[in-house]
Amino acid sequence: MTITRRGLALGSAGAAAALGLARPALAQSEPIRIGWLAAMTGPSSAPAVGFNRGVLFAAEAINAAGGVRGRRVEIITRDTQGDPTKAVNATQEMISQLRVHAIWGPTNSGESLAVTAIMARAGMPNIHPCVVDSLIDVRRYPNAFRVAPSNTQWDDAVRGYCLQRVNAKKVAVVGDTTGYGVSAANASVAAFQRDGAEVVYKANIDATQPDMTPDMLRARTAGAEAIVIWSVSTGMIARMLNTRAHMGWDVPFVGHPAMSSGEVGTLVERPQNWEKVYAIGYRSCSFDASGNLPPRTAELVGRLRGKVDLRDTLLWWVASGIDAVDLIAKAVEATGSSDKPAIIRHWNTLTKYPGYFGEYSFTATEHNGYPTEDVVMSAANSARDGAFALAPGYG
Amino acid sequence: MLASILASGLAVGAVYALIGITYNTMFATSRVMSFTAGQLGMLGGVFGSLFILKLGLPSILGLLLMLAACALIGVMTEIVAVRPVLKSLEQHLYVLTTLAVALLIQQFTAIQWGTEPQPFPRLFAIGSGVWDEKYWLPVVICAVTIIGLEYLYRRTLVGRAFVAIAEDNFAARALGLPERNLRIASYALAGAIGGLAGFAGGQLLLAFFANGPLLNFYGFIPVALGGLGNNRGAVIGGLALGLFQQAANFWVGGIFSSVAVFTLFIIVLLAAPQGLFGAAASRRV
Repeated sequence: MTITRRGLALGSAGAAAALGLARPALAQSEPIRIGWLAAMTGPSSAPAVGFNRGVLFAAEAINAAGGVRGRRVEIITRDTQGDPTKAVNATQEMISQLRVHAIWGPTNSGESLAVTAIMARAGMPNIHPCVVDSLIDVRRYPNAFRVAPSNTQWDDAVRGYCLQRVNAKKVAVVGDTTGYGVSAANASVAAFQRDGAEVVYKANIDATQPDMTPDMLRARTAGAEAIVIWSVSTGMIARMLNTRAHMGWDVPFVGHPAMSSGEVGTLVERPQNWEKVYAIGYRSCSFDASGNLPPRTAELVGRLRGKVDLRDTLLWWVASGIDAVDLIAKAVEATGSSDKPAIIRHWNTLTKYPGYFGEYSFTATEHNGYPTEDVVMSAANSARDGAFALAPGYG
Repeated sequence: MLASILASGLAVGAVYALIGITYNTMFATSRVMSFTAGQLGMLGGVFGSLFILKLGLPSILGLLLMLAACALIGVMTEIVAVRPVLKSLEQHLYVLTTLAVALLIQQFTAIQWGTEPQPFPRLFAIGSGVWDEKYWLPVVICAVTIIGLEYLYRRTLVGRAFVAIAEDNFAARALGLPERNLRIASYALAGAIGGLAGFAGGQLLLAFFANGPLLNFYGFIPVALGGLGNNRGAVIGGLALGLFQQAANFWVGGIFSSVAVFTLFIIVLLAAPQGLFGAAASRRV
């Protein structure tokens, strides 16, 4: 048989048309593949372990209810071990080989800084809970959406609590000597000064410094009425709390969520040393004065009971994991497509989307979706089933 | 303020001094600066917390087990990182091998023990304020260690053999001293002393995998200040370092105190390269 140019052209056109027609049918039945970049092992694995419980719970719930328009949700997890290099490799694998429809994660800023641009180039719909402000930029990363507060929102909440509820006009701001500690403390000082407060003492302390007496004495001598902490070092925080107790000083500590970590509880010399410590928390995952969670969160906790262990994790991690999967599933349901631009366009229209962790709102120009007013301060020593009591002053 | 400087300065200084002695003990019989000294200190705190707090063993039993475990790691260091490179000391390969072992120890501890600091038990519950146990315990243990080492080196046959090896390795071997066994014994002793440093300072430094590099750095300064191989110099250098560091914490604070410490260290070494208490190197002509 002779192959002519005309025959080849007609054959090619026919094959292309057939493939083109077959694609929608395949796409409508294939699973919704969600890439999950999780630091499940390694030094910063605790959040991802918590998020993962929510992710698996949400996927099972959706699939048990028949999926999304008949399509199953498939979670494809890659353990990044908190290592940006591994996160980059996993992201490229998800984009090029696994062909996921959207990616949830990474869950720490170091990894996210490494992969956000890669996902942007691929136009991959991405939801993450990382706090570094620069990770959200609709011009450079129109595909990236944040479902947790940014550093600025944390800072706003801490400053607001100090100035309005503790009524402290003179504050000491303390960070550790890591890049995060230095930048967060500097930003906090600038914001306090902008709001007319007096920063009477500012320090960046080496987290391994065995004795915190010098810094605490200087803060007291300077007249600090609240101490603002920007550090993830539980050892440093506990030493400062123990020193405060030795000094017989009852100044409140306000700041980073690490202050409510269980490790701090094991390191303080007496349980009382952990009093008057207010760490960043979230209204949706906080007990009110009567010891009750908000109704929607209470309903979630009821659903989780017996299926998801909340005793060794934080409720907001689990709730946020559920919300991430639901946001992707709802986008496919609403648009009838797992097409990447369609998912992104849908998220850009969300206003007060009722998640469990928060009510998210996105527009084409704002991808910080978490409401600032829901960032509250918690009593650091009040953990129960992954949630905390609201700090005093919220009524 | 002065009392606080003295209490915590002497306490951390005593820990640095003990790490300095660990360096010296290993150096004496092998001519190797083993950078596992700080990790042995870290392990002293971790093993102390593990045996006493986690496993609930009596303090004295926990201490003995910690000493045995650290001594064993000292011996392993000698076998794995020191012995293979002894024949080419002039190439300073020991820097690489001992740093590699130090890194292995740190990573293994991070995986098995965790990366968050964990509490160290109060052993006697005696004292409060500047007389708290966490301040005086390192000083007491440092003093006991120095007295013990002086006794060992001056009054016992094994101790004199250590000194002989340290003074002149070749002559000691010619006299029939078992150089390799003595070197292994000195690494076991160094392991125990390093562990004791971390155990003594456990309430200050906590049981934390990242304490190793810190103790490596600050434990090396007393050795350089006091003169390599000079234990008394290491003690004086360690205590002076602790006091200066704590005073700098009060005066200039935070990260600047480290700058002050290292500036002074460099100035001292420029003025006395052999250390404040070391003998000037002589060259046979």
